[in-house]
Amino acid sequence: MIKFIDLTYQYPLSDQKALNQVNFEIPPGTLTLVTGASGSGKSTLLRCINGLVPHFTGGVISGQVRVFGSNPIAEGVETIAKKVGFVFQEPESQFVFDTVEDELAFSLENQGIPRNEMDRRIQEVLHMVNLSHLRHKNINEISGGEQQKVAIASALVAQPKVLILDEPTSQLDPRSADEVLKFILELKTRLNLTVLISEHRLERLLPFADLLMNMDTDQGVLFGEPQEILPKMVQVPPVIEIARRLSLSPLPLTPEAFPRSKSVTAAQSRQVEQTQLIGETEVCLAIENLSTRLGDQHVLKGINLAVHQGEILVLMGPNGAGKTTLLRSILKMVPCSGKITLSGVDVSKMQFAEVIQNIAYLPQNPNDLLFAESVCDELKITLKNHNLAETSVDLNEFLAYFGLTDKCDQYPRDLSVGERQRTALAAITVHDPRIIFLDEPTRGLDYQTKQALSDLFHQWRKAGKAMLLVTHDVEFAAHIADRVAILEAGQLIFTGSPATAFTDFPAYQTQTAKIFPGKGWITPENLIKT
Amino acid sequence: MMNAFVWTLWLLAGLIFLLSTRNPIYLIITLAGLFILGNRLAKAKHISAWVRSNLRFLLTMLLLSTLINGLFSHAGETVLFTIPPSWPLIGGNITLESLAYGAVNGLVIGALYILFNIINLALSIKQITRLIPRAFHPIAMMVTIALTFFPSIQRRAREIKEAQMIRGNPMKKISDWLPILIPLLVTSLENAFLLAESMTARGFHKQVDLRTPRNLISLILGAFAVFSGWILQLYRYPAWITIVLYLIGGGLILLTLILIGKQTKITRYHHEGWTRLDILMSSVILVYLISFAYVSLADRLSTLSYSPYPYISIPVVQTLGVLFCLLPVFPMVLPRYD
Repeated sequence: MIKFIDLTYQYPLSDQKALNQVNFEIPPGTLTLVTGASGSGKSTLLRCINGLVPHFTGGVISGQVRVFGSNPIAEGVETIAKKVGFVFQEPESQFVFDTVEDELAFSLENQGIPRNEMDRRIQEVLHMVNLSHLRHKNINEISGGEQQKVAIASALVAQPKVLILDEPTSQLDPRSADEVLKFILELKTRLNLTVLISEHRLERLLPFADLLMNMDTDQGVLFGEPQEILPKMVQVPPVIEIARRLSLSPLPLTPEAFPRSKSVTAAQSRQVEQTQLIGETEVCLAIENLSTRLGDQHVLKGINLAVHQGEILVLMGPNGAGKTTLLRSILKMVPCSGKITLSGVDVSKMQFAEVIQNIAYLPQNPNDLLFAESVCDELKITLKNHNLAETSVDLNEFLAYFGLTDKCDQYPRDLSVGERQRTALAAITVHDPRIIFLDEPTRGLDYQTKQALSDLFHQWRKAGKAMLLVTHDVEFAAHIADRVAILEAGQLIFTGSPATAFTDFPAYQTQTAKIFPGKGWITPENLIKT
Repeated sequence: MMNAFVWTLWLLAGLIFLLSTRNPIYLIITLAGLFILGNRLAKAKHISAWVRSNLRFLLTMLLLSTLINGLFSHAGETVLFTIPPSWPLIGGNITLESLAYGAVNGLVIGALYILFNIINLALSIKQITRLIPRAFHPIAMMVTIALTFFPSIQRRAREIKEAQMIRGNPMKKISDWLPILIPLLVTSLENAFLLAESMTARGFHKQVDLRTPRNLISLILGAFAVFSGWILQLYRYPAWITIVLYLIGGGLILLTLILIGKQTKITRYHHEGWTRLDILMSSVILVYLISFAYVSLADRLSTLSYSPYPYISIPVVQTLGVLFCLLPVFPMVLPRYD
């Protein structure tokens, strides 16, 4: 059992409490879903369970924590490590060694487990997670989903009673995410594990959660069964939102649990209007028969795609399908064959500087872009790089557009995740490019931050910008896409309306589409109660 | 695959030989052997162009060392040309002898580099760190992580560079690289913090305290004995006194480290057994080391040293010397690692 009694914690050099009088009790063998906005204290709370807080972080702590009879605050992390396995958000950042086998042995070596026992446990856990064939593989050579499984196996090999996972699926495509989640649930049942998962995208995990914990800055920590907590939450997954609109009680947690008898009809179909609009606008970017080879691998094969002015084209596909390579090929960062034209001009005849003046690119890690002393300096540097005068843009007005009005003089890396994301977006678009490429812009963002981002993208669309957006986030994509392209194994298997993409392809079906099959509705906004 | 300790012994013997000789013929024979061995190991690991990249380094070293010595050392009698003496530092005669001496030094530097490169090919990161005594477990971990992190830092640097180029940074001047250094430094620090957190969560902690009074006293005494032996050697005291001090000091340090190592609860997953071939190989290398020490001290191998000054001459070669050059071929008698 995990028990928190009046736990209060404050980070060193902080004047605010990260956790304030937190009380809860988690029974053994349950799955608790921990949710809440970025910065609400989810990670801090999880780290209290294995003693990383306060032993690793420092700070002031009061109250009590009990984990299966142990006291992490008094006993320290190394003792609790035998009982609590912790899987961090980015698996690649937590690996110590370069091979799967060595990585699994690490925690056992620290515990002084004899060699024969280590060998037995490693064999057992690899068999359990179906990774026996990867035992001697280099970790850098396996897929993202496999890396996540290795991270979980590394935690399980110590035979813990509690398994904590900090956003385990944030970097995975829907298929791999489902696979990893199924696998966690299987392990939970088989080993009677007590599992705590922190996650922003509730829709995936809600059906399997025995308990729900919502960390809210206004209401404090809400803890209880999902049916009890969900009505009190502001940001909820589409299935709950629809159920609330239809005043259903009890709330169905999955599309499958939704009562079929409810009569609903479509709201004004945004998709239809948009598709008509796009048909009339100019083609900004045209790709004909594009193929890319990286080493011996044929990453992209015969891609044909067009992006229109004022359009948000969402590119989806499994990890390793070639999505990022497509963006890089267009930007002339990877050699490719075929024809790419920017408003009719052949890109192969353009200088690199000319291409990037027209196309802005937000990479997967926006932190890669930020290095200046202040937010405004970031913008000025981009202007300078493009030989534009600092006075050519009213920076304060421009920052207001991104909701960063009072952040001009702030150090970018001190900002919140969402603000940093918007600063990076401002830095790449201040020279007014016509096309914007966005690679996984919602990774690790909470509902509110995603909403702010979605509003910004809609404003850009109204301003006539064309956007090519790569994402695994199906619900977000359904909210903003004008058109969807699906890439698999280097080939475009679909280009068309969001209504078709998010209803006809099971891997990309939204919750709304699952609730109302055959209707072509993909977001809660597509329907109204009749 | 040869045991890591045997490879270390091989490295030690190689280092001693290379640092003891300046005979270019011995060096060239050793280098040829090193290239053959390195190429064999690289092929087994599917590493292409190993010979080419090492040859490039060797030639660069050869050229640089020859030029630097030629320009700064003006000794030797065969004057090729003269730089006006008024030129600071490099002014004076450029002699064939100084160029030859520089070239010999270049061969030594190149051979040392290739020797370490072969160890890098032969042993995995974990095998190398396992050679560090258990008492220094945190240091061994630090070395492992540093070596494992290098490729990921390279990858991050490439990603950040691309991100900055896309932002319009032309990457032409040195100042253009600042946008890469800062994000790279910050993300490396962030990753280091994450890794430390992950290691702590998986039970990694300081197992023993090296700084207990007992450990400190014996380590300081050991170091003091070694240092005293060195000072006495410098002042040409009888050799037996310095040898005794070295043995006492070294033994004390080693014993302390072994005792500290035994206190650690850490176990090791990989076990490197000693095969018959390992025992044979280490015996051969030990015989090599003892014989080399004997012939060097008894002055039976005068051709090890070679000096082109004051007049350049053709180096003399002894059969015994050529036999000592065969060190690189020792590991080749083993079955190939693949």
